[in-house]
Amino acid sequence: MKQDRREFLKKSCGALSMAALATQMGHFGLMSAVAAQNLEKKSDDLVPSDYRALVCVFLQGGNDGNNMIIPNHTTGSTNNYNNYATARGAQGLALSGSSTSLIPLTGTSILVPRIGNLEYALHPALGIQTPATNIVNNGIHELWALGKLAAVTNVGTLVAPMTRATYLNNSVPKPFQLFSHSDQVSQYQGGRSDTQSFTGWAGRISDLRTALDNPGGLVPMVTSISGAQLFTSGQSTLPLAIADSNTSLANVLAPAGFGLPNPTGTNLARLNAFNSLRTQDLSANFVAAASHITDVAMAANAALQSAVTVSTAFPNTSIGRQLKQVALMIKKRTDLSINRQVFYVQLGSFDTHTNQVATQNNLLVQLSQAMRAFYDEMVAQSLEDKVTQFTMADFSRTLNPAGTGSGVVGTDHAWGNHMLVVGGGITAADFYGNNGANGTPFPQLSFNTADDADNGSNARGRWVPATSVEQYAATLARWFGVPDANLSTAFPKIGNFAVTNLGFMQPPAP
Amino acid sequence: MKIKMSRVLLRILTLILALGVCSFAGFGQDDPDPNSPTPILLSAQDSTRALASSADGITKRPLGKILPQAFKPDSTIALYVTNVSLMKGEGANAFRIYVEDVKGHSYRYPVLDLQPVAGFQGVYAVIVRLTDDIGFWEPPTADGDVLVRLTWRGLTSNRVRLGLGQIGGGIKDDPGSVPTPLGTATLTNKKGRISSPNYVGYKWSGDRTRFLEQATFGPTPDLDNRIRRIGLKAWLAEQFQAPYPSANNPFPNNPLKPGTPPADCDNEQTITPDVPVTCFRDTYSMYQPQTWFFREAFYGDAQLRHRVAWALAQIWVTSGVDIQQGRHMVEYDKILANNAFGNYRTLMKQMTLDPTMGDYLSMALSTKNNPNENYAREIMQLFTVGLFMLNQDGTLQLDASNNPIPTYDQTTVNNMTKVLTGWTLCNNGCPNSVSGTPNFIDPMVLVTNNHDLTAKTLLNYPGSTTSTIAACSNCTNSTNIATYANASMDKALDNIFYHPNVGPFVSRNLIQKLVTSDPTPAYVGRVAAVFNDNGFGVRGDLQAVIKAILLDPEARGDVKSDPNYGKLREPVLFATNILRAFGVRSADGLSQSDGYMTGRSEFTGMAQTPFMSPTVFNFYPPDYNVPGTALNGPEFAIMNTGTAITRTNFVNRFVFTAIPIPVSSPNAPNGTSLDFTDLQDLSTADPTGNLLLDELDRRMLHNTMSATMRSTILPVVTSVAASNPLSRVRQAIYLVATSSQYQVQR
Repeated sequence: MKQDRREFLKKSCGALSMAALATQMGHFGLMSAVAAQNLEKKSDDLVPSDYRALVCVFLQGGNDGNNMIIPNHTTGSTNNYNNYATARGAQGLALSGSSTSLIPLTGTSILVPRIGNLEYALHPALGIQTPATNIVNNGIHELWALGKLAAVTNVGTLVAPMTRATYLNNSVPKPFQLFSHSDQVSQYQGGRSDTQSFTGWAGRISDLRTALDNPGGLVPMVTSISGAQLFTSGQSTLPLAIADSNTSLANVLAPAGFGLPNPTGTNLARLNAFNSLRTQDLSANFVAAASHITDVAMAANAALQSAVTVSTAFPNTSIGRQLKQVALMIKKRTDLSINRQVFYVQLGSFDTHTNQVATQNNLLVQLSQAMRAFYDEMVAQSLEDKVTQFTMADFSRTLNPAGTGSGVVGTDHAWGNHMLVVGGGITAADFYGNNGANGTPFPQLSFNTADDADNGSNARGRWVPATSVEQYAATLARWFGVPDANLSTAFPKIGNFAVTNLGFMQPPAP
Repeated sequence: MKIKMSRVLLRILTLILALGVCSFAGFGQDDPDPNSPTPILLSAQDSTRALASSADGITKRPLGKILPQAFKPDSTIALYVTNVSLMKGEGANAFRIYVEDVKGHSYRYPVLDLQPVAGFQGVYAVIVRLTDDIGFWEPPTADGDVLVRLTWRGLTSNRVRLGLGQIGGGIKDDPGSVPTPLGTATLTNKKGRISSPNYVGYKWSGDRTRFLEQATFGPTPDLDNRIRRIGLKAWLAEQFQAPYPSANNPFPNNPLKPGTPPADCDNEQTITPDVPVTCFRDTYSMYQPQTWFFREAFYGDAQLRHRVAWALAQIWVTSGVDIQQGRHMVEYDKILANNAFGNYRTLMKQMTLDPTMGDYLSMALSTKNNPNENYAREIMQLFTVGLFMLNQDGTLQLDASNNPIPTYDQTTVNNMTKVLTGWTLCNNGCPNSVSGTPNFIDPMVLVTNNHDLTAKTLLNYPGSTTSTIAACSNCTNSTNIATYANASMDKALDNIFYHPNVGPFVSRNLIQKLVTSDPTPAYVGRVAAVFNDNGFGVRGDLQAVIKAILLDPEARGDVKSDPNYGKLREPVLFATNILRAFGVRSADGLSQSDGYMTGRSEFTGMAQTPFMSPTVFNFYPPDYNVPGTALNGPEFAIMNTGTAITRTNFVNRFVFTAIPIPVSSPNAPNGTSLDFTDLQDLSTADPTGNLLLDELDRRMLHNTMSATMRSTILPVVTSVAASNPLSRVRQAIYLVATSSQYQVQR
């Protein structure tokens, strides 16, 4: 285990970016100034001529994929609406097209070319809503028909390809601490499942690409609108973390009381001292770390001063304000002298052990409204092909409900889950990912059978993923511009999987 | 006003002492010297090259005859340390060896053994394997010297050169470093000596300030005086008995919130205005517990209990994010506070039956036909044993292939879940039951029909005595079911409580909350031993555990020099430490603060609102690593560019203005401000600004302000006319309080 980590680190070290190293030199002493000068850019690494961004929308707590994408047909024997209704109906968890009987959904159907053009449905919350506060658009369901929404199904944490059989007979290593929130979040964000990560996959992409893609960039490659996350941490680069659009970009990192941007007199003297103190006592590592974070903030603040606006209406929800802030940052991309960015936003409370029906509906409405507004704004900025939103979550939830009855019924922690990808950069509206035991990428909705990791009469339906997080993420990273040769630096265990491109994204920029 | 005057006088007295005009012994009881000696790594006679030999060479060659040599990576070698004073049982795991290479990368080499060197009193061989056990960086290339540091009890040795692969190379010695050959470094005092004698004022004032940072919500001049008189141990004994909460700040006694609050108390002011307008806030919201919490932190006498309860609230997490009503936090917090100096097993039982926890982690809805795993999983993962088997010093046990060993698996979770089925909120028939209103006051009660009666297997570990529960054989009536269910719960809680992980897991977590983020295994081990047995055969005695944490030599001492020592002040403690240091009071200065912090953006923007953790994983997880390093630093999980600036804005708010009594919103009836009059007096007394900085250095940085830091701040102070002492004081406090040097509690 340790050896693998070393090997990975060895590879990534060779590729540390110049800007990244320079940023941290003062604080963590990563290299000498002489060494930094020697790190020259290779001639074949051209600064990109276009802009691209990835926007990670993390569904904290573990969104129940089984109620987000539902087979809406009666074809086949293991994977249709009746199987779904049988598994969840008695406890009141099955979504239905009728309030009186369990029948397929209406209004959010999608046709899936990959599975014989059969009809599936999205959770109704992703479709058109009754007008109300914070209902500002028609939601993301519409984007399927426009070819701007794709789903990657039964994705999950894996060390290597795995089946129900190899899971149950322990012949393939299992992800570290399955079903535990914190560990599964770390594996999605860390981009590996065999061990604890010190860094996240966006952070490692930033380590690799900052100097090459964003020379002269005034802010880090990675920005979080929801605190510092493992996803955003590199070995040698730090993310920007800022508040949502309730605070303007000009104020989001502005220290109060100095009379910025033009301090004078004692304010100026104090500001200079405030900056100078952060260059002192750096031999204490916690002091150095705190000073370094503040340095990044102060540098970014100067770059964020000129105001921008967006033209699209965003819902005034947490996720709406986060994505609006991302849209504002993207609008400033030229000022910030930046060509490649990764953003992180999140929506919480998906850990629906209880009261799932109302909770998930409420959350998915927020999600759909915010993601659609963001997509529309990218269209307005003529960037819809250049910016891709994608979801991640801790895990999916048990097909078998926990508890029963309205207001009570929920689900427990499970595994393989469905992810949504939104943007003009997708290949086509379809299901993607490896085929599972039933010959399709969609799991078999029954207990103690082909895709269930649980065994025996109490099996609850926890899908063994057919596709790994790394395969999903690597497909996105490749579109973003990470060369194939560097994928193993960003995803140390990608070599365990034959396919590194699931095909849902168009080719990288030439 | 009287109190203020006497504080000023006292401070002047202190200053006189510091200037050496006169000196006399401190009155009252003296604690023993809290300082450990500073370890010294031995070097060659005339250079800073480490005295080092292969590990099997310790006895082969006299120490004085060891020749400089290079060592291969992964080989096992002996370094030699002196000027340490070991306690009984203190050995290899009290020491850490850090190495820095020419690239500036840092590595940690495992210390395998510690052996006294025959014939050289006070010299120990530190047996080290030259293999990085962190793995953040690729291993150093074996092509020249690295610098080696030894740390012990939060103190660092000098750094010496070690040839890796070959001798020589570009890494530079630390400025001012000198050879430390055998014989020049000896322990000056067997009991240890003052390693930082340049204290200001009374002996060990640095240690007292540090102690108060660890044990309270922030030092105050009054508390410092009290401890100087009675000593740490007597103060602890006093704290263990102190009434809680303060007489003038009783626990909030809000009624439970009905499903639908009455129209005149539902926070809806347009159709039916609330009477009074603050009815909802005062009756049902989180405002009451949150402002109560801060008032107790600002002014309470039972500081230690409040602090430990706050630490426990960050382990046994529930959150108002899910259920925003004040009352549901009150009974929960009482359980934490009542058991802060009690027994962990009692805390486990009361928390398991606590309706707030039962609701938050879904146990209240878990039945035999519809079990819910949430609480069963988290009580093990987060509250007691953790995910992996631990050694008694908190380090991971590893299997033959060097992988950590899971403490339990999904089957254990399923079985624990079964044991905990059937309990639910007591909405009928309990003293506080109100029909149609969730009862967050009385403990949960058993609904016998909902309890699982089948056999269960529990945690299995060496020495476990109750690892199974048989199926119920006589559960034909509810009395028998209740007997079986209650006995099963106790068996399961015992099964968890006696797991050998609990001692090191809980001890390390509490050390992190109170003292330092990355304690040595030896420190964890000493505290865990007390958890396992308080000296009277009792396991889980938290009073003994807290005492062991706070009086440990790794916690104590005037100054800690280990570069990895300390912790980032979490926002709540950052705020209360600043406010307590400068006489927190109402906005007009005439009464106490109302404790209103959590509605203010400069507080919430720091990302830690009490009783509002975003998830059960607390505001930050205990295993979080500081970005860009492999250093464990939980609080850094909420330290980012955004929160870093908000921290400075919090300081700006209180140093330059206050939380005013607002005209439109009634949430700050008293407001909150700081009192700088004593510092203004100092500023007036000394136009050079030095006395002011001396006082801030002592009060905020326990005398560790570097000369550079002082020379950075002083010109800003003197750029303000001496006739404006308030402005001078504000410049100085702003700069100290926003500095990373202050934000890290060391």
